[in-house]
Amino acid sequence: MLTQIGRPVCGFFGNGWKPRPLFKGAGALSYVSTQRMFGRIQGILELMREFAVFWGCTIQTRFPFIEKSTRIVLEAFKLPYRDVDGFTCCPEKSLVNNVDHGMFTLTAARNVALVDELDCDLVSPCTGCVSNLATVESELNANPKEKDHVNSFLKQVGREFKGKAKLSHLVPFFHDTVGLHAIKRMMKKDFSGMKIALHYGCHMIRPSHALKNDDPLIPKKFDNIIRAMGAESLEFPTKLMCCGQGLDRIDQHEMALHFARIKLRELKAIGADALVLCCPSCFLQFDNNQFLMEKEGEKYGIPVIYFTELLGLSMGYSPDELGMTAHRVDCMPFVKKWESLGEKASRDEDLSEGLNVTGAEGLG
Amino acid sequence: MEASLNLKLLEMCSKCGACFSICPSCVNIPGYDPREVIKDILDGSHEKWINSKHIWECLECHYCLEMCYQHYGFENAMTAMRTIAAKRGVHPTQVKRGWEMFVKTSRLGEPAIPARKKLGLPEAKGSGAEEFKKLYALLKESREKGRGHGGKTE
Ligand code: SF4
Ligand code: SF4
Repeated sequence: MLTQIGRPVCGFFGNGWKPRPLFKGAGALSYVSTQRMFGRIQGILELMREFAVFWGCTIQTRFPFIEKSTRIVLEAFKLPYRDVDGFTCCPEKSLVNNVDHGMFTLTAARNVALVDELDCDLVSPCTGCVSNLATVESELNANPKEKDHVNSFLKQVGREFKGKAKLSHLVPFFHDTVGLHAIKRMMKKDFSGMKIALHYGCHMIRPSHALKNDDPLIPKKFDNIIRAMGAESLEFPTKLMCCGQGLDRIDQHEMALHFARIKLRELKAIGADALVLCCPSCFLQFDNNQFLMEKEGEKYGIPVIYFTELLGLSMGYSPDELGMTAHRVDCMPFVKKWESLGEKASRDEDLSEGLNVTGAEGLG
Repeated sequence: MEASLNLKLLEMCSKCGACFSICPSCVNIPGYDPREVIKDILDGSHEKWINSKHIWECLECHYCLEMCYQHYGFENAMTAMRTIAAKRGVHPTQVKRGWEMFVKTSRLGEPAIPARKKLGLPEAKGSGAEEFKKLYALLKESREKGRGHGGKTE
């Protein structure tokens, strides 16, 4: 099985095919294929391209605990991430683009230029940030005249937008680059027996011409990860419905609550143990706004868990370490139910040989 | 018009309506109907929408864009209306506040320092606000100069 993996891959490299995430050469893979599982994963991760983390305003201003769980996970996986000096707001499309499209483009281009200069990629735990940056990057890459125009400004502050950096949201990044296999390998206990309702967040996958990471109308990657983690990923009619947080930004708080209510009602009815997501705006909508409704006597009791928190829990970190005690809606019902379920029998049991070279790059 | 739209595509759009039923705002917000707005744009009577709260209710979820056989989407019409409204200063208070904070600080909020300390997070990186402000000044300056030339970054 292992040699079968080796050969076509060497062929790929021989033909000048450059995978991103990068394995730097065929030698690396044959080295990898001779190691034990842990060694393999580590070998791959060491050769991964460095990436800047774009935290974005909302996480750093309102939810630093999301940064905490994200850092814990990135460290534990030994991923080559870095912090970058000088990022501004991505910027937020609904606020900035409606008022001044030129400034929207220029600001995003400058952020991408910072990453271009470092010759690395970018990963963000915020869907909005990635979507906005990728929208501008793809627009400028498709339009050389506009790109030149933007660069004529950037040049005056000593920068250049090249549009080369790969921009990823954390979830597709874990799916495609880290791989399901590595995720499974890092887990101490899976989520068998837990019913999870996923909320993708519109901007994780749309606009697809800019993000190019999943099917924009029937996305699968987040589900794949959750299922690989052993949980049941529930199907329900409002699964892909927009969270509606944007309504809170245009002075329509009641309507924002109405949107939250539609989904929360459904989740309660189908017995979801938690709502799992990976976007600070969606988090704000379902955690904070759910809490506000709870205070008014409208109780749904749906814990809202960030992807990195879920991953961290499965790796053995405590809710406290992961900063989950800072949520407005109590997460403990989820954690307690999970803890009461039996230990995962044997974590290596379901790792099938022959699927060893991470999940999604189609190398197997 | 103070914003640009492809009227040919809008014409097709007015005969289609396919994305209406998957637009979260169309389905859940009474009175939100981009089809009406588009009809009025084509008739040249869109003025009444500029002050309407409905044009801000598009969530920019891009569902219509993905669904659209023209890859155009309701959202383009709504964005154009919002751009005009913002130019005339009739946009929602929170949008105004957000924009002001953005141009002043380059961000929509500053890192929460005490909470970071408590969580044991490293010091947050600087924001590049000075460079950002310089760029904004340069952009405004070039608009001043280029007035009448129809610069692309308008
Ligand atoms: S982008 Fe706006 S108009 Fe289009 S589907 Fe979403 S809410 Fe509706
Ligand atoms: S935006 Fe596209 S899909 Fe929607 S009604 Fe118009 S043409 Fe049809």
